[in-house]
Amino acid sequence: MPTIEIDNRTLEVDGDGFLSNPDIWDKEVARLIAKYDGIENMNDKHWAVVNIIRRNFEEKGMAPMIRTICQETGLRLREIYELFPLGPARGACRIAGLPKPDGCV
Amino acid sequence: MEKLTKEKIKQGLEVLDAGMDGKLFTHLNSCVHCGLCAESCIYYLAFPEGKFIPATKVDLISSIYRRYITFTGKVVPGLVGARKLNDETIVEITDLFFGACTMCGRCVPHCSIGVDISYLVRKGRQMLAKMGYVPESLQSTINTALKTGNNMGITEQEFIETLKWLEDDLRFEVNDDTACIPLNEKGRNIIYTLNPREPKFFPLSISAMAKIFHVAGESWTLSTQMYDATNYAYYSGNHDEAGIITQYLFDEIQNLEAKTCVLAECGHGSRAFRWEGPNYLKKEYPFEVITSVEILANYIREGRIKVDPEKITECVTLHDPCNLARTGGIWKEQRYILRRSVKNFVEMAPNGIDNLCCGGGGGQLAMSEYNERRMKTGELKAEQIRKTGAKIVVTPCHNCVDQLTQLNITFKLGVQIKTIAEIVADSIVPQDQKVISKNESVEV
Repeated sequence: MPTIEIDNRTLEVDGDGFLSNPDIWDKEVARLIAKYDGIENMNDKHWAVVNIIRRNFEEKGMAPMIRTICQETGLRLREIYELFPLGPARGACRIAGLPKPDGCV
Repeated sequence: MEKLTKEKIKQGLEVLDAGMDGKLFTHLNSCVHCGLCAESCIYYLAFPEGKFIPATKVDLISSIYRRYITFTGKVVPGLVGARKLNDETIVEITDLFFGACTMCGRCVPHCSIGVDISYLVRKGRQMLAKMGYVPESLQSTINTALKTGNNMGITEQEFIETLKWLEDDLRFEVNDDTACIPLNEKGRNIIYTLNPREPKFFPLSISAMAKIFHVAGESWTLSTQMYDATNYAYYSGNHDEAGIITQYLFDEIQNLEAKTCVLAECGHGSRAFRWEGPNYLKKEYPFEVITSVEILANYIREGRIKVDPEKITECVTLHDPCNLARTGGIWKEQRYILRRSVKNFVEMAPNGIDNLCCGGGGGQLAMSEYNERRMKTGELKAEQIRKTGAKIVVTPCHNCVDQLTQLNITFKLGVQIKTIAEIVADSIVPQDQKVISKNESVEV
């Protein structure tokens, strides 16, 4: 199984770098994956997006629509793309510890 | 991986039993091993090993065909290089056909005698699908589409809420309170389709298209029941499932009595629905099907919309999706649009029907087990982009957009990735304005 190593911690992931076991996720794991993607410091806006994605995943088993993320955080669409250069799926959902969403992402 | 059984072998071989299928028979028996295909293939260019040469893939499937279907192969397999289907061959063929081919088809025009290599890879995938060896990650996307009608499992309510949200934005953008995104309207000229990643995560392209339809005064609608232009079963080779997904969209176009179906900017979706679909359903469509690129080019050509290249002055390059340009023959339209919509358009090399695949085609984006290879083949595209010096890369395919976005970050290209509709929407001239340039009179 592939792994990623950040700050002396090893995380088991799928080939795309999404956590193999979403249950091991916590804020520290989020911070590590973000760092791996080049986001050195997660600011309040990053956390707002990640927390909504994580909550939706825990309640409904999948990532929320981008509309929900925008409306609940009050962030504009383009701001979210700037916060997570890899996009809401490969960027934000991965940091939130979700499995890779189906489809062209 | 599940063990191979006699029953599985029997089902798989049905695909290769060419019988009276002249095309399959010819292509299975014609490779002369000249090796010209090698350097046309992104896998061989990224990993110069014999197993990645397209001819090796042809040889693999031909050797199985010879072993079970031909007389000499059955009697003296060793003499004719015939190979048995066993667990070992299944691992090899799965790895090469699913994990080392994007079915981009670039090897086909490079083949000295015209073997349709990507067709044979599809046959190989079809065989694996019959035997139940489609990678789980790919199958999961297909299952979601079969179950929910779209490959991301978006509920109808979530979809409608998203479109209403985008509609508010559209009204603000075009400064017109009557602007709308029509839903489930019957008898419109156009039924538009989407790639589900648009409503789920990347809706700027929906807003762009809605704005263009509004300015063009088009009679159009979206269906909230069935709008998915993708068909991942085209990638898996499971024709039964590909047929069901095609039928979903076919039925909805009929239900809404639309004259023309306009496909989202989606390479494989265009191929699966427009060009393969009638074969899956074994009937001709009673409606017209065209791609977004074609309708956008038509709008500009016919003067239904006006674009102003002065609005986009950064250097722009174009990536041609393989299924649209090489196999679909749609490569002039995107150039027609870009030459009029942006000030500084440069080609990458090679381009058009000889373009390199981005590395994300053939279902590669869904199959995370082959991610490392996908990034390595994608590096060729990243270098192509870097050499153009462009700041914006445009591509009429959401699948390519996703791969290019990842390449952009991984290889630090510092570019923006956009669809054609986004470019047109950025350069469009609002209905009540007129373009004035130094050498031209006012256009009316």
